[in-house]
Amino acid sequence: MRNAAAHKGSFKWNSHLLAASSLAFIIVLYFFSTQAPGMIVNNPKLQLFKMMFISIIIEAMPFILIGVVISALLEVFVSEQTIKRMIPSNPILGIITASILGIIFPICECGMVPAIRRLIQKGMPLYVATTFIVVGPILNPIVFWSTFTAFRNKPEIVYSRMGLAFLIALILGLIVYRFVKTDQLRVREAAQQPLQHKHSHHHDHHHDHEHEHASEHRPRSNKLVEVMSHSISEFFEMGKFLIFGALLVGLLQTFISKDSLVALGQGQGSANLLMMGLGFILSLCSTSDAFVAQSFITTFSKGSLVAFMVLGPMLNLKGILMMLAVFKTRYVVLYSSLVIVLVYAGTLILDKFLLH
Amino acid sequence: MGNNRVSIVHHLLKLVILLGFTGYLVYLALTGEILLFIAPHLVKYVEIAAAGLFLFCIFQLYFSIRSLKQPDAAHDCDHGHCHHHDLEHGHSHEPSRSLWKNVMIYGLFILPLLFGLFLPNQAFAGSLARNKGMNVGGEAVTSDGVPLDLAQLVGNEDAAIKQLFRSDKYNRDYAKLGMLLYQQDLIEMKDEWFIEKLQALHSFADQFEGKQIKIKGFIYRENELSENQFIIGRMAMTHCIADISPYGIVTESPDASSYANDTWVTITGTIEKTTYHNQTVIKIIVENVEPATAPVIPYVYPDWGFAQKLQ
Repeated sequence: MRNAAAHKGSFKWNSHLLAASSLAFIIVLYFFSTQAPGMIVNNPKLQLFKMMFISIIIEAMPFILIGVVISALLEVFVSEQTIKRMIPSNPILGIITASILGIIFPICECGMVPAIRRLIQKGMPLYVATTFIVVGPILNPIVFWSTFTAFRNKPEIVYSRMGLAFLIALILGLIVYRFVKTDQLRVREAAQQPLQHKHSHHHDHHHDHEHEHASEHRPRSNKLVEVMSHSISEFFEMGKFLIFGALLVGLLQTFISKDSLVALGQGQGSANLLMMGLGFILSLCSTSDAFVAQSFITTFSKGSLVAFMVLGPMLNLKGILMMLAVFKTRYVVLYSSLVIVLVYAGTLILDKFLLH
Repeated sequence: MGNNRVSIVHHLLKLVILLGFTGYLVYLALTGEILLFIAPHLVKYVEIAAAGLFLFCIFQLYFSIRSLKQPDAAHDCDHGHCHHHDLEHGHSHEPSRSLWKNVMIYGLFILPLLFGLFLPNQAFAGSLARNKGMNVGGEAVTSDGVPLDLAQLVGNEDAAIKQLFRSDKYNRDYAKLGMLLYQQDLIEMKDEWFIEKLQALHSFADQFEGKQIKIKGFIYRENELSENQFIIGRMAMTHCIADISPYGIVTESPDASSYANDTWVTITGTIEKTTYHNQTVIKIIVENVEPATAPVIPYVYPDWGFAQKLQ
């Protein structure tokens, strides 16, 4: 318990420090703008940041709600046995199952992370969950259609995106299956943040308690109450990472211009890296990033556009904060480095042999 | 019972935040200002989200009342020794419950609400283009060894026109749209299919030379342009402001320099061909410029299914 608390403490300390510095930054902005009276409202940068910030939150809101409600439903209604029965024991089959799940439930990573955490707690193997996180935002019909629309006259980009995503998911899944054996979730208590008291500590104990309640006092309605209570806690827990992510993305988008980035990425390999970096920073929804990628088509190689559209959904600023809330830092680092290396290598090969 | 009071404060704060978000979304939806943030096809999802949040509010109200009435319920402890258990409990929570961290976390939720409350919503058209880099033209249709077919459009099209709009199968939809545009005396770039029309015009730049075009948009300049040129463009939004990107056409006029950036104008002119960023694109030779008012919602949206509506 103590260890867990300390561990959690150090992580949270960092993330809160980040939050604090960002907030301080905004306050500084405020001060600068108050220098000239009446300028607060008119400061274009602040305006742009505000619109960007709120827009990202609003756009993600439906998905995060779906995510937390699914997570709560899983918590209350689905037993560990059911999950275990659903996942095949053969790793390849498991990975393919996860890929198909991704196709059937086309939700983006905002909704994915809360649901995934619950599934892992319920016994879904880590490699299956990882595959799901990687594949879900890309390999689904909506993303295929939007990418196809954006690159109507370059279908090879669409197929490269889908193919590379699947390949990376497969490799990543197998690596995790082979080499990561231990529990990579943040300690259960640690996964629950201080905002919630009702559910936070003594998870199991609490459960028994609720069940007693269910049978003794409020028999029927309690399931619903339980689902809602879980949903609300989860909403606040995941929501703060989403909002913090939106804040960072808003700041970056406001203060860094695309042109200055583009200037950095002239040259074969560096363009791929640059576009990967852009995908990470922009944190766009996977269904809309194709149109942004399209605007680079005259500037960069096709492979680097694929890099942008494959890495972005798998690994981005908004998502990684949520992942840090769920997984141990070490696992997130492992996941990130694998994704980066695989996407980079994959798109370089694509550039060389398939896309010209 | 200090701990109990803390718990009530937490419950009430959550309630206030949930109410705030619900109220803000409802306000945006009712005033239509939501379109300044997200694309129209997402609005219904946000409305559903607002309904969901409202449901959360109701339950949070219930939890708050419950925590007021029976403080123990919120703490999972027995009635008997709850009192001093509470203290212990509170103590073990203390590291993560320090005041400033909670202020931080709730602050994070309240921040967007404060922004929403105190700063007016604003549309972004011209100014943001500078941060994003303008999108001038796609690639022309070329036959890279792929046989070019005739695009089939329902109705009796002139065979000669069909001959003009040969394309591979991936560009067929643009060819169809191109044929429709080709038969118009004046090609009007309206909000609907702005991006698609632009793509069709660029793809078949040769065929459209000499045609009349009318377009409304904001003025924007890039370093590569000469004195007598500017770009007239629109912002395209796919989902939200984070992904808006500008689309435009190079425009040529002797008195181009007299028009300031970001001003909205309606331009009528003739289409010609030019190269920009090593690509063949169309440009407009201006015949008439009229000042225009910026639309309340200045964005255009890609239409994923435009081909099906072309019949």
